[in-house]
Amino acid sequence: MSMKLPSDGAGFPSGESALSGARSTEGIGARLPKSDGGVKADGSGLYADDLSFPRMLHAKFLRSPHAHARIRNVDVSKALAHPGVVATLVGSELPARYGVIPWTHDEQALATDKVRFIGDEVACVAALDERTAEEACRLIEVDYEVLPKVLTPEDALAHPEVKVNEKAKDGNITKHVHLEFGPVDEAIAKAASIARQTYRYAGSTHAPIEPHCAVARVDADGNLTLWSSTQIPHYVQREVSRVLGIPQSKLRVIQPLLGGAFGGKSDPFSLEFCACKLALKTGRPVKILFTREEVFYAHRGRHPMTMDVTVALDGDGRIAAVDDKILIDGGAYASFGMITAYYAGQLLTGPYRFGTYRFDSFRMYTNKPPCGPKRGHGSVQPRFAFEVALDEAGEKLGLDPMEVRRRNFIGEEVDTVNGQRITSNGFLKCLELVEQASGWKERRGKLGRGRGLGVAGSMYISGTAYPVYPNEMPQSGVLVKLDRSGRVTVYSGASDIGQGVNTLLCQIAAEELGCDARNVTVVAADTDLTPVDLGAYSSRVTFMNGQAAREACQKLAEKLRAAGGSTFAEACQKAEAAEGAPLAATGGYRTVKLGGNYRGGTIGASPAYSFTAHVAEVEVDEETGIWRVHRIWAAHDCGKALNPTLVEGQIEGSVYMGAAEAHMEEMVYDQRGLLFGPSLLDYRIPTTVDTPALDAYIVESNDKNGPYGAKEAGEGPLHPAIPAIANAIYDACGIRIRELPFYPQRVLKLLRERDARRDALAAQEKGQGRVA
Amino acid sequence: MLARLERPPPLPYAPGVPLLRLCVNGETHEVAAPPQRTLLEALRYDLGLTGSKQGCDKGDCGACTVLAKALGAPGRGEAILACITLAADAQDLAVTTIEGLAGPSGLDPVQRAFADCGALQCGFCQPGMMLSARALLDKNPQPKLAQIQAALSGNLCRCTGYTKIYEAVEVAAGLRMPSSRAPVQSERAAASDSKAQTVKEFAP
Amino acid sequence: MMTLPSVEVLRPRTVAEAVEALAAHQGARVLAGGTDIVPNLKYGMYETQHLVALRGLSSELRYLREEQGELRIGALCTIDELAENSLLREKLPALAEACAGIAGPQLRRMGTLGGNLCLDTRCVYINQSHFWRSALGFCLKKDGTVCHVVAGGKRCVAAASNDSAPVLLSYDASVKLVSPRGERVVKLRDFYLADGVHNTVVERDELLVEVRIPRGTSSLKQAFYKLRTRAAIDFPALNLAVAIRVSSGRAESIALSVSALAARPAIIKGLDDLIGKPADARLAEELGRRAHKQCKPLTNIGTDPEWRRDILPVLVRRTTLRALGLS
Repeated sequence: MSMKLPSDGAGFPSGESALSGARSTEGIGARLPKSDGGVKADGSGLYADDLSFPRMLHAKFLRSPHAHARIRNVDVSKALAHPGVVATLVGSELPARYGVIPWTHDEQALATDKVRFIGDEVACVAALDERTAEEACRLIEVDYEVLPKVLTPEDALAHPEVKVNEKAKDGNITKHVHLEFGPVDEAIAKAASIARQTYRYAGSTHAPIEPHCAVARVDADGNLTLWSSTQIPHYVQREVSRVLGIPQSKLRVIQPLLGGAFGGKSDPFSLEFCACKLALKTGRPVKILFTREEVFYAHRGRHPMTMDVTVALDGDGRIAAVDDKILIDGGAYASFGMITAYYAGQLLTGPYRFGTYRFDSFRMYTNKPPCGPKRGHGSVQPRFAFEVALDEAGEKLGLDPMEVRRRNFIGEEVDTVNGQRITSNGFLKCLELVEQASGWKERRGKLGRGRGLGVAGSMYISGTAYPVYPNEMPQSGVLVKLDRSGRVTVYSGASDIGQGVNTLLCQIAAEELGCDARNVTVVAADTDLTPVDLGAYSSRVTFMNGQAAREACQKLAEKLRAAGGSTFAEACQKAEAAEGAPLAATGGYRTVKLGGNYRGGTIGASPAYSFTAHVAEVEVDEETGIWRVHRIWAAHDCGKALNPTLVEGQIEGSVYMGAAEAHMEEMVYDQRGLLFGPSLLDYRIPTTVDTPALDAYIVESNDKNGPYGAKEAGEGPLHPAIPAIANAIYDACGIRIRELPFYPQRVLKLLRERDARRDALAAQEKGQGRVA
Repeated sequence: MLARLERPPPLPYAPGVPLLRLCVNGETHEVAAPPQRTLLEALRYDLGLTGSKQGCDKGDCGACTVLAKALGAPGRGEAILACITLAADAQDLAVTTIEGLAGPSGLDPVQRAFADCGALQCGFCQPGMMLSARALLDKNPQPKLAQIQAALSGNLCRCTGYTKIYEAVEVAAGLRMPSSRAPVQSERAAASDSKAQTVKEFAP
Repeated sequence: MMTLPSVEVLRPRTVAEAVEALAAHQGARVLAGGTDIVPNLKYGMYETQHLVALRGLSSELRYLREEQGELRIGALCTIDELAENSLLREKLPALAEACAGIAGPQLRRMGTLGGNLCLDTRCVYINQSHFWRSALGFCLKKDGTVCHVVAGGKRCVAAASNDSAPVLLSYDASVKLVSPRGERVVKLRDFYLADGVHNTVVERDELLVEVRIPRGTSSLKQAFYKLRTRAAIDFPALNLAVAIRVSSGRAESIALSVSALAARPAIIKGLDDLIGKPADARLAEELGRRAHKQCKPLTNIGTDPEWRRDILPVLVRRTTLRALGLS
């Protein structure tokens, strides 16, 4: 079947959608400008640090200068006596342990018995201004007994007697997962081509431009309000109320505009607990704003992983077996680490068919800032290793990298080797688009010395099947209210973290109700006002919150249709009259039973999977090892683009972030466990002049489970960037780089090894020639 | 532990805090602030102009970018960083913040284009980004892509990959229309012979 | 957010007032563009009580003029105006290029040439917060006694990170310093000291007011290169400048300077035997070898020192070829 490349012509699209038949230019499929675009453009939108209240105090943390130490005593008396200080807080005042995952409550707002990494919070001071609070922190006297530490997962395994975190039942293991699907060893033994290597993935962090900030205020009736830069208001409400010992009904969590998150704001953090506690203690509003350095200590970024990967192909180039041993460096606390240990294996089993599969993953505690879910949680690292290994195994059989991927395509409406159900799958179309756009067939191999093309694919979840704490309630709720003026108000618990879900809610309302999207008010992420949504993680928001909104709107649409009316407002009035009560309806996303029938089989189970393919074009300077990516073509199957502009933005942002990890980002520690350069100068994130040209293509596979066919778009498109670049470097100069970041010194070293091999081979051939 | 309340509430700063005269968005404000106040602190906390953001606090990220020129000079001036400018040292400058960019007739074309093109995701870096873009277009109304990239290279964005930001600047300059590439439909594909395999679990 | 310690800001209107202010206040520091000192103050790197802000001296110290055959550049010229200056780009392309590569656009508009030359030395162990340095146990440069770069080191090796310095060294430029005691002109090659705590000869009551570039510099074959991890908002991981006078195809004079190594920018020595040799690819190659021999990058910069040393000959060769118009 022939295909034409989509054009990038001028003019707006009609917004028509084949699936829903909508006519609205503001409904599903429209490139509606963001609903909060105006307040973000004119500077009037309020982020957490933009909030200020009369009598507000500013609080600061004292942090541990030791990677591992027992706390014998904390003396705050001098700090308390410092002029301008109003209150102090120490660990014993809020000792309860918490964590985002109910099975691994291993964190405290302030350490009571032990500190576990350099930067761990020990005490907190509230004062009239930030400087005074900071000065007072230095007056706090802490008596530490320094303990032996472990800084690598290898050491953590080898030294179970150095217990980083007492939550670990066995040594320093947060979680060990070992799952085997089919006779792996047998398949490897019979394989025609095997690629077996070790890969290292460096830790990196989210670096949202907005540092974390929390503001807490208590009213005369003891109602506590917390404004926080969080992507999980509901979990924050649960954990803060539990730790502070106040009823959830007395704590209101509001997420103001959020300045970027990427998974870095999806844990409850010390500043939320301490701001609330200090507000209760002083009766005054309290603000805590992390410095950039503190954001690095809060971390929860990409887990460093060491992966021993075997990919075995049969004589037809089909994947007979994949075997993956994964050692995960977790840092001092669990965060989502239990899930990470599963995701590292569970999310690899598409878009290709695996004959057999085994993975064995250890997530280890170490004395470093805790790792967590960074965009593409758990699966970016194994995906890199696998996609490089697939190229390598395919090459041994003489297979073009495109061909080996096509040949192993798993298809649609199919079960993966680990029992996950794939519904729609537009991967082949993604591959076709990037192959054509990059000129793969015509250009590959003809780009000249030091220049090459590489391809990679990936799969990601659209939400996880189950909530992080088991319950039967809907995972996402929406309440829609119609006013007789024709104004529509959508109350949604979901967190707009910049991805644009509030805009999608306007579009869904416009689509279903036929109203003007500009006449929709979205009230979001406020636990007093909005139904619960579990949060912006695991790429669940559009999928689940979208379903909930659609359901609520459809209920109202029925009433409007029955009432009739020549304008939308008139229809609202007639319907309200007929109802005899205000018009409102709710919708929810309910958990469906999914996943493999084994322990852990539900982790990684998703109602729909997204698929992505990238081609990267790189240029390598063989004398210095310095390389750059010229362009990345990325095609992503998001099911249905509810708003193509927003989807493109998610693809471009993901590709950028993936390329950045390949290029320059790494959390580096010294032998003390001290993080080098916790600043945006030293931890370099790419600028405009570092970022390759990004070319985003949207593929629509119209998933039966997604709202209007939609699947996720915010995380999947990150994955292939790294292996596509690695494979392009191989194409450019014949070296396989298996360690991130692809520092030029690493590239140069591999180039020299390549040259030595070539020289040896030439000498050998010459020698043989002489013999002959 | 709560501080004893009988202690007289201390002043956060020494007495005799001087008045600073700051010209911001065409208005002159007098601000009582200690000499070490940065321009960003003065804007955000003394004048309530919270549109200027702080992301790194030390001149690395560009979120606090404002436009500044010598008092009395024409135009809006050039993009500088408020977080490492002392307010006391900014008294000879006329400063434009994001709040001063829109006029009575609405958003500046740069702001409009950023909103329309999806250049604003989380929006946090964008006040600074838009001001850098405005300063560029004031100087060079029809910039080439490389010039846009150079002009914005001091503003870090973590959401967009910058692509839609370039688009927005070009749209604001009237050089192009917003992107409209249509999604591509994938054909239905058959299932492969993939099947779930029998699971062997390891019990730790 | 990080806040500044309390300081008094003095705002002189003339150079004379400025140096009087410096002399009058022990430990006073100069605030020009603020791009270096303000972050360092926020990090608690100085005990300064007084800042002498130079913005009021703009009309006095912001000029570019020819005098006695020299090009004289006022110290308060911003980096950006030097990078953009068409005369400079044509006549002194290496300097313009070096300026264009400093930091990012906003910082270039704020930062000044004088400020760049007087930039404090940098090290992965010093340009951090007080808390971070306390966890480290502090270091030689401030609050401590240990060097974390050189085991047992007694002298600070924080790196000169000024991008303008290697170029101006290759030009054999001078700087004019003014104090209440008078003024002096110092060759830039005598300006820097091998002590990272204070790496210039500038006395505490002195102000760098002018840079002087010798006659004939514009006829030098010249080029600058900056090795950096990030293409903007980054200090050099290594930088170098080469300036060669060529006559009838032969090198009449050769200057090569490499920096971001230790406290003092390196001037590659012992090049006299190359004078008179053809200004060609072989010369470029040889300069690379000499630089490699004389330069020992350290771990004071967070980019692999071995690799930096390893590729230095390539960078020198290419920069030389570019200067000679042979690349």
